[in-house]
Parts: sequence; C-alpha cells; structure tokens
Amino acid sequence: MTGDPYSSEVRSLFKAPAHAGSTTGPSARIDAQGVSVELSAEAHDCRLETVRFRVRGCPHLIAAAEVLCSDLEGQPVTTLESPFGADIMRRLSVPVEKTGRILVLEDTATLLARKL
Amino acid sequence: MSESPIYLDYAATTPIDPGVAQALSEALCDETAIANPSSVHRAGRLSAARVATAAEQVASLLGCEPGQLIWTSGATEADNLAIAGAARYRADRGRHLVTMPTEHKAVTDMFQALEKEGFDVTWLAPGPDGLLDIDLLEQALTEKTQLVSIMHVNNETGVVQDIEAIGELCRSRDVLYHVDAAQSAGKLPIDLRRMPIDLLSLTAHKFYGPKGIGALYVADRPGCHVEPLLFGGGQQRSLRPGTLPVPLIIALGKAAEIARERQASDLEHATRLRAALWDGIKGVEGLLLNGHPTAHYPGIVNVSVGDVDGESLLLDLEPLCVATGSACNSKNQEPSYVLRSMGRSDDEAEGAIRVSFGRMSTIEDVEQAASIYVDAVSRLRQLAPAA
Repeated sequence: MTGDPYSSEVRSLFKAPAHAGSTTGPSARIDAQGVSVELSAEAHDCRLETVRFRVRGCPHLIAAAEVLCSDLEGQPVTTLESPFGADIMRRLSVPVEKTGRILVLEDTATLLARKL
Repeated sequence: MSESPIYLDYAATTPIDPGVAQALSEALCDETAIANPSSVHRAGRLSAARVATAAEQVASLLGCEPGQLIWTSGATEADNLAIAGAARYRADRGRHLVTMPTEHKAVTDMFQALEKEGFDVTWLAPGPDGLLDIDLLEQALTEKTQLVSIMHVNNETGVVQDIEAIGELCRSRDVLYHVDAAQSAGKLPIDLRRMPIDLLSLTAHKFYGPKGIGALYVADRPGCHVEPLLFGGGQQRSLRPGTLPVPLIIALGKAAEIARERQASDLEHATRLRAALWDGIKGVEGLLLNGHPTAHYPGIVNVSVGDVDGESLLLDLEPLCVATGSACNSKNQEPSYVLRSMGRSDDEAEGAIRVSFGRMSTIEDVEQAASIYVDAVSRLRQLAPAA
C-alpha cells in the first residue's frame, strides 16, 4: 500500500501510548496551533523519574509526545530544555507542515522545566 | 492495517454493481460496442445503437428525452460545462450568477473561474442546517441574473435542497437553473418532465456504475443552451466533442436501469442503516449532526464532536473507511468549507466524520462503525488535556 501518511512506528505509538496520562508532579500546558499539549513530571535529585503527556492533536503529535516522554525518563531535568523537535520529526517522518505542532511540544517541555 | 476495511464512503464513490460490471466487461469485447459510434459503417451503427439504448435507460431514470443528454467524463465535467457553458451563452443578456458556498468544488471552483472572467457571483449562505432559504434566493435574483446552480443532495452532509421550489422561482424569472445531482441521481426520484430544471449533472460512479462516465441534461427550451468547453470532432452536436466511450456509456445505462428498478428498496435500506447508525452513536456526549434532521438523503450521515482532532479520529476509526470533515492527511489541513459555511467552528469542522453507505452495506457494517466510533471518541478524549 502506498500513500500512507503514517509510519508503522507512528501507528504503533498512536494506538498504544504507554506514557499517556498525568503524574502528581508539576505540569505545563500550551494550547496553540490548533493543538493542546500537557506534560507533567515527577523528578528526584534533578532527574526525571516519570513523565506523562496529554495531547489533543494529530497522530504524529501524539506519537511525538510518547517518544519524548519515553526518552526523557531517567534524564536530567535540564534535558527538557534541549531542542529535540528536529530529531523526533526525522525519526517519525513528521511532515514539515506539522513543524509548528512539534514546536508546541518543545515549548511545553521548556515550560515544564521551569516548574520543576 | 491488516484488518479488512469496512467501506462506508459511498458518497466518495460506490462499489460497482455486479450487473453493471458484467455489462461493462461484456461490452469491452462485444462486436456491437467496439466501433466508433460516429462511423457510418455497420459496426459504427451497431455501437451507435448501443449508445442510444443507454441514453434511453438514463433518460428513463431522469424522466427526460434521450436527446437531451450529453455524455461527459463525469459530474465535474458536466458541472463545468453546464455552468461555464450556460453563463457564457447568456453573457450578452447579463453576467450575474447565483450559487452557494456549500456546493461541490466542481461547482464553486468553476464559479470562481467565472468571477475572474468578469462575471458577478452571489454566494448564498445556507442556514445552520445546510438548507437554502428560498427568500434569500428571491432577493438575490436581479434582471441581470442568468444562472442559478444549487445542488440536490450535498456530498458532505446529505442535506436535500428543495430543487422544485428553486426551479419554479428561477423559471418565473427566466433564469436558468442547474442542479448538481451527483449524489442524488439514481437514489432519489427525479422527474425532469415535471421538475423545472434546465441543466442537471450526474456521474455513474456515485450510483454503482464505473468511474469516467457521466452526463449532462440540457432542457430543450428557448434560451437554454451551453457553449462547449472542448473543440474538435463535432460529436454530440459539437457541445462535447470526442469519441464516445461506448462500453462506459453502456455501463452507465445499465447502472441507471438497475437504479430505477431498485430506487425504492435502496432508499428503504439506506433509511434502515441510518437508523441503526444513529442508534449506536447518539449517546456520544456533545455529538452534533451536521445537516438537516429531516431534509436529508439517509445514506450520508455527518457528525461532529468539537473536542477531538479529526485526523486522529480518522486513524482511530480504522478499519472503517469514512471521510473526515477536514482533508488533513498531511498537506491540506483546512477544515471543511461546507461545514464552516454552515456555521460550524474550526474545531467542530475538524472533528467531523462523514459516514456514507448504500446498496451493498449491511446492518452489521454500520453497527460495527457505531461501536468503533464511540470507542475512538472516548479514547481520544481520555488522551486529551481537560477542557
């Protein structure tokens, strides 16, 4: 089949996002670009222990949020402020016209870092 | 992607009826259908006879004369020919045209092209239920108005316009009336001997025929004529030249014949399916019906929830093959212009889903669709931040 806008990884992450939900820790939310992104995290000794997301948006954004949360766990809190958007877009083959949505995810992570 | 698809996108295109497929298959190799029907030799005359039979079948479905039909490649071409052809033909009488923003792109894009040619187009907004207020149309008509184009059944919402009332108003003001009947031909009764319609477009693939063939009806009355868009060959009185695709025309005729025989039972079936679908989804919180509660073709159901992303909903609905209110697979993320014209918000339009079904659909199909829809909306709401 050709013309499928979603890779098998995007489909899999979208269908079963293991990191969907909330933590009891601080959260950050941004509504922009027609999407809503909320990230929350629990940190210990400046390391992220648990990171969760809630997203109202397209499958690529949901998959990207899942990848981000999964990658962040165990990392220093400062990792939240790293520019990760380009890497995730490449990994998930996110169409370039959805860059704005991935940047919302990036901005939400930066906002969360300031709350931790 | 491995699950078998459940095809509920009949408004986009219907599966071909087995009887039509057989007629088409036979015609492709049949010596009575291989020749150019414009040729005067015996084989050509045989092909011409097959085309004439098909014209009678389509005319019988529409209640018109076979000679009032022009074969086209489909409804897009028929719409273009009707609108541009009639507007240009009558341009010396006036250059004012009327349509609605909820028409199919084959109509709206043609009107926009005519605006660039200097025609003045009035775009009549629908009510929130998609229906045209006939008083608005009456107010819009001027002595310069030459053509009104308002569709029968809307392809996104299934809303059925009162084409008889519109036609009567147009006839009383000596304005030509074009109907895009792509979604209604073969599905709802149309009687052109009785209905005051001057131009009507249809396409075979919306009523179980093949893609690539359609027709334009042109009423036989003074002032009703179209100028051609294509030139060369002189076929079809030079209104639409080009060698006729005889097997496709035969298939269109067969589709029309079957549709005429089955119209009542097909409609009854679609009504039952709609009721089953609605029973299954009506409990979804915040569900909006996009369209009219009674003035609708039952085979098209368009619903919205404003708090769910349309693209994610469409993916979560797999293996259902339905249409989203937004064309946002990747490139075009604009919400449906039809739903926006009806006053729906961007969020409501983006969260819209069109389910359309017909002759081959089953109760099990729509019950399963309802169940999948309810589950998908619930899951995506759980994934989203609190409102």
